[in-house]
Amino acid sequence: MEYKAPLETYTGRVKEVTLGKGADALKIGGGNILPLHYFEGSVVNRPVVALEVNDNGAAGWAEWVVEPYKDVVSDPVKWARKCLSLGADLICLHLDSTDPQGSNRSAMEAAAMVKKVRSEVDVPLIVYGSGDDKKDVEVLTAVAEACKGENLLLGPAVKENYEAIARAVAENGHCIIAQTPIDLNLEKELNVKLLKQLPPERIVIDPLSSALGYGMEYSFTIMERTRQIGVVFGDVAMQMPIIADLGAECWKTNQARADREQGMHWESITAMSLLLAGADLLVVRHPDNCRLLKEAIEGKI
Amino acid sequence: MILIGENIHIISKVVSEAVRNRDAAPLQLLAREQSLAGADYLDLNLGPARKDPEEVGAWLVNTVQEVADLPISLDTMNPLAMEAGLKICKKRPLLNSASGKSESKSNMMPLAVKYRTQVIISVITDQGCPPDVDSRVESIMDTVAYANELGISNEDIWVDPIILPVSADQKQVREALEFIKILPDLLPGVKSVVGLSNVSNGTPPHLRGILNRTYMAMLEKNGLYSAIADVLDPELVELNHGGQEAIRKLIYKVMDGEPIDAAGLPERERNYVKTARVLMGEALYSHAWLES
Repeated sequence: MEYKAPLETYTGRVKEVTLGKGADALKIGGGNILPLHYFEGSVVNRPVVALEVNDNGAAGWAEWVVEPYKDVVSDPVKWARKCLSLGADLICLHLDSTDPQGSNRSAMEAAAMVKKVRSEVDVPLIVYGSGDDKKDVEVLTAVAEACKGENLLLGPAVKENYEAIARAVAENGHCIIAQTPIDLNLEKELNVKLLKQLPPERIVIDPLSSALGYGMEYSFTIMERTRQIGVVFGDVAMQMPIIADLGAECWKTNQARADREQGMHWESITAMSLLLAGADLLVVRHPDNCRLLKEAIEGKI
Repeated sequence: MILIGENIHIISKVVSEAVRNRDAAPLQLLAREQSLAGADYLDLNLGPARKDPEEVGAWLVNTVQEVADLPISLDTMNPLAMEAGLKICKKRPLLNSASGKSESKSNMMPLAVKYRTQVIISVITDQGCPPDVDSRVESIMDTVAYANELGISNEDIWVDPIILPVSADQKQVREALEFIKILPDLLPGVKSVVGLSNVSNGTPPHLRGILNRTYMAMLEKNGLYSAIADVLDPELVELNHGGQEAIRKLIYKVMDGEPIDAAGLPERERNYVKTARVLMGEALYSHAWLES
């Protein structure tokens, strides 16, 4: 008798989100399967990996994660190019310099820098503000306007500021990162609200990525359940792709800062776990971990 | 269904101030309003009553009895306040509540025997609130057996499955619903009671009513005997008295898994369908559940 594998099929499908434009555009999501269950449905887009570029010049980074970039950290354009040469699918630009608690760089300056990076590198850009919910409105609006039509992925939009950021994103042709604090109900609420301003194909969910040993299992559960609720139960408010922006969380732990090898494991294990949980887009800092993740995604390891 | 008015509750600022100052007027107003609104019992929640428990327990019961002719559900975890109140109730009161906790077995249940009250017994044990139907069953069988041994008959026991907020633990909403359904087979003769408004605890205030009302209709379909509830919500009272037939039917349809064309319904009806689906666990809860 012929063996037939017991395969599941699901009614829901993750929305396909396009980042960037033209020949450089990159698509994420789109599948009707649980994470990495390529045998159960159509492989529309495999997960992608971004390397982080930070406009604060890698201030506070452990020396072993600065090392691959040591000549370029003062120049985001060169740094971004370096990331691409090291294998990143796309670039995640963190605008930590705009933090009012820190160097408080102006929205205009930040926007001009993002525009420059965008014009110099041929991959889609993810842009994160500093996380200050008031300043982020200014910064992300300025970035959205300066890069009108470039289809960046901009965030984080949170409960306190999503309306203004979604407006700037909608008016200038970008996508948005919907960020909630590791809570499924709040995540759905923000998605429902954003869906009044943007189509689901322009939204990416960021449920926050905690590092190994610092609550990673909570992030894992939220991502896993998001995917189940969207794909298995067909909840349309939970069918957007997921971003795991985990580099900063991992590299600020004492364990990652204490020792190179330990730091590498801290980031790779967190990333690999969140990949299994359902992340469609992973942001890491070390290029070796970027390579490792890509090999895993392509099924080589 | 028997409605127990919940509005004299120490967690309310008006109530806690009135109790502290021994100011009868605001409490008597609440008692009158709830009687007029259709309450069958008045719940008097004193919380832990740390200060002068005996004096305050007796004072509150007297204050309310002066203006309301309803039986009292006396709600405090302080056995001294409980005893002082139960002692002077004119109508046969409801002791709210005892549980499977050893402390409750030794301090509260004997009061129900001594004053021949009816008693709410919850599924809580020393281990906390049981997480599913099976563990609730196990807990309540033990605790009711213990109460029976003390001489409390099933007819005087009102079992409380413990309602948890849908915003905190959506799965528990369904578990409590199932528990109410099987309770008569487990413990023939017992009554059932829930703290209804807890289902909407944590939900934005203007959205709590529809959750409470929908869940009440669902619990009633499964045989619930009584609810401690917001009787000052006229729609809730109307629903309990057999009104709002169309709404009730829609809620039942959701429970029975019958197909409903929600998009074709007027907004009010559609909102009840959405709410019932969330309470049944068919759709993930968020504070924006009516908007999606």
